[in-house]
Amino acid sequence: MFKLRPFVIALVAVLVVLAVAPAAAQETTVLTVWDVWTRDVEDAMGEELAAEFEAAHPGVDVQRTAYLFDDLMTTLPLALSDEGGPDVAAVNQGRTSMGALVEAGLILPLNEYADEYGWWNRYAPVLHARNSFTEDGSVYGEGNMYGMSNTAEVVGAYYWKQAFADMGLEIPTTFAEFETLLQTIKDAGHTPLAFGSLDGWPAIHEYSAIQHPLSTVQAIDDFIFRREGATFVDDANLLAAQKLVEWVDAGYFPDGFEGMDYDNATLQTFLNQDAVMWITGSWMTSVLVEQAGEEGIGFFVIPPADPEDPPLAIGGVGIPFGISARSANPDLAAEYIDFITGPDTAARLLEVGFLPAAPVDPSALTEGTLTADTVNAWNLISSKNAVGHYLDWAVPLDDLNASLQELLAKQITPEEFVAQVQEAYEGAA
Amino acid sequence: MAGEIQERGLAVRQPSSLSTRSQSLLARLSGETTLGRRPHARPYQAYLFILPGLLLYLVFVLIPIVNTFRYSFYEWTGFSEPTYIGLDNYTNLFRDKDFWTAISHNFFFVIFYTILPILLGLFLTSLLTRQRLRGMVFFRTGLFIPYVMSPVVVGIIWRWLFALDGPINHVLDAVGLSSVARPWLGDFTFAPYATGLVGTWIEYGLCMVIFIAGAQSINEELYDTAIVFGANAWQQFRYVTLPGLRQQILVAFVITFIAAMRLFDLIFVLTSGGGPGKTTLVTSVLLYTEAFNQNHAGYATSMAVVLTVIILVVSVVVTRLQARSEAEELV
Repeated sequence: MFKLRPFVIALVAVLVVLAVAPAAAQETTVLTVWDVWTRDVEDAMGEELAAEFEAAHPGVDVQRTAYLFDDLMTTLPLALSDEGGPDVAAVNQGRTSMGALVEAGLILPLNEYADEYGWWNRYAPVLHARNSFTEDGSVYGEGNMYGMSNTAEVVGAYYWKQAFADMGLEIPTTFAEFETLLQTIKDAGHTPLAFGSLDGWPAIHEYSAIQHPLSTVQAIDDFIFRREGATFVDDANLLAAQKLVEWVDAGYFPDGFEGMDYDNATLQTFLNQDAVMWITGSWMTSVLVEQAGEEGIGFFVIPPADPEDPPLAIGGVGIPFGISARSANPDLAAEYIDFITGPDTAARLLEVGFLPAAPVDPSALTEGTLTADTVNAWNLISSKNAVGHYLDWAVPLDDLNASLQELLAKQITPEEFVAQVQEAYEGAA
Repeated sequence: MAGEIQERGLAVRQPSSLSTRSQSLLARLSGETTLGRRPHARPYQAYLFILPGLLLYLVFVLIPIVNTFRYSFYEWTGFSEPTYIGLDNYTNLFRDKDFWTAISHNFFFVIFYTILPILLGLFLTSLLTRQRLRGMVFFRTGLFIPYVMSPVVVGIIWRWLFALDGPINHVLDAVGLSSVARPWLGDFTFAPYATGLVGTWIEYGLCMVIFIAGAQSINEELYDTAIVFGANAWQQFRYVTLPGLRQQILVAFVITFIAAMRLFDLIFVLTSGGGPGKTTLVTSVLLYTEAFNQNHAGYATSMAVVLTVIILVVSVVVTRLQARSEAEELV
């Protein structure tokens, strides 16, 4: 009997610990965050931001995981419909991503938080449409805000300054001048544009870089948001397709561009100065700065057909952050989103090579650098409300890629191309 | 499979006694085996032993298969509430021209995944088995390696080999065939063949290993007899090796045919999921984009069901053929 005592004491001790442990655990609130900051510098920034947020909120444990974009896109719907998913997650824009999550009631509307924290004016108000859906997810571009972005993108032309100087070229102010510029470079014996269509999607940017200046904000908005009467079969889109084929025939793209991928072949073509310009998105600025420095390369937005018009370029706010409908702490999640999309974070984003969505203090920029060129290009289109769209927000990416590759290889005519895109557009409704 | 080959090998070497052979045939046809006929005191013990495996199989294979079949009758995004729509997914599927394109490409790839590897495997087998070869293990292993590598790795390697400034085009340039050099994977005419050849490169090693194993169990005396009757190398191959390998060819056919039907990872990496245009689009890639990019999970499962049916039908037909030829061989 006497011998049992130590066991009883041990048992009581264990029970006490078990009883206290949950109470102790309750004091820490776990905030699970899924983002797409996978590169080393981005990941380090994400960790710093999380640590700062924890420091400012005692008892909060931010558990942050960085996913590759594609992985997150395929995992997120299931994770959000299950217990144990993230509180805050990067949610891709567009009907098939954010729209489907809204329709399934998996993410929260953020309007009240936007009012509370003043998110509406953090970047051009018109851009909020891209993160908005009606409550049933049926209408894109209207209704509630479901995501708040902190980065921005603009597609334009990178160019080698020395090559421009050697050939006496100036940054064009109209689309016609831009085409003349291409021909001048070609005549001088150089390849005007770095481009490869093996991966498919870069062709969307190439096509849109022609299409946007020839079209109007209204027409492109209507198409993306599927407003009444919207169609792909119009003169501007057809003309853009014809021009793209003309560019192929004129030899503006490198030989064998059909077999060039984006990350290696195209990047190397531009870096080796085998091509004078490269039409792609501002996300390449950090890579180009790393490889070639701030001074050698410049960036401009493809100019409009009419110099009086604002330059319409594909661009927008980057992948936004949303709040899971299953989150136990939505208010805390909103506070976190406020923090990572706010002005303090903007400067940090610029440091690691992102283009911040919120305006950057001009004093933080050195004129004549590639970074400054990129920020200025974004400010230009953002301030003039001339932000275009990625076509794959409305047309399934795979159909679009295939149709563009067919157009570039002249397997189909420009007329067939616009008809084919229209068909895919209707099929995805 | 290795066990089967070995067992058959032993069977051939057994002193031929027709009665025991036909008995074992009877047993095989009626589904009985020597093991099954052995009296067993406590049969439930056997079930207990297979229980863990059976449970895993149930949870990870059988239940998902049944669910796939079930979801093919629903409209479902993959995370929404499924809505029953009867056969609509199937009627849409048969009207979907992308589906027909993709399935026809699968059958096109059968040439490269099944037929060419079998021919190449037979050729290599005849080279590697008829005379004692120094470094046999080296050749066999080397030729088998492509099959063991992950298709993603294979895809990356070949993407690099086929690149515009990649080794293949460099070699063509070097031998004065610059006009032949081209962006192989971006070319509407050549991309399907280039992609197919990679498939052949993956699968021939498997066929070769299966055939070598089979050839080793062919009775040497048959070759000796053939030689005595003056058969040349081709005749020996045609009248001794080939008939002796009938079983193995059928096995290789089924395995590589299934690989051609399920083809996914290689296309995903090599031609970014079916490019240029839709020239290398295959059913599994289409299924993936429907399910995960377009959130048509219900529709995608109907595609999976059709693919499964095709594979099942072909496998059953081939297995029947196999059983018949086995019966002929033994009687």
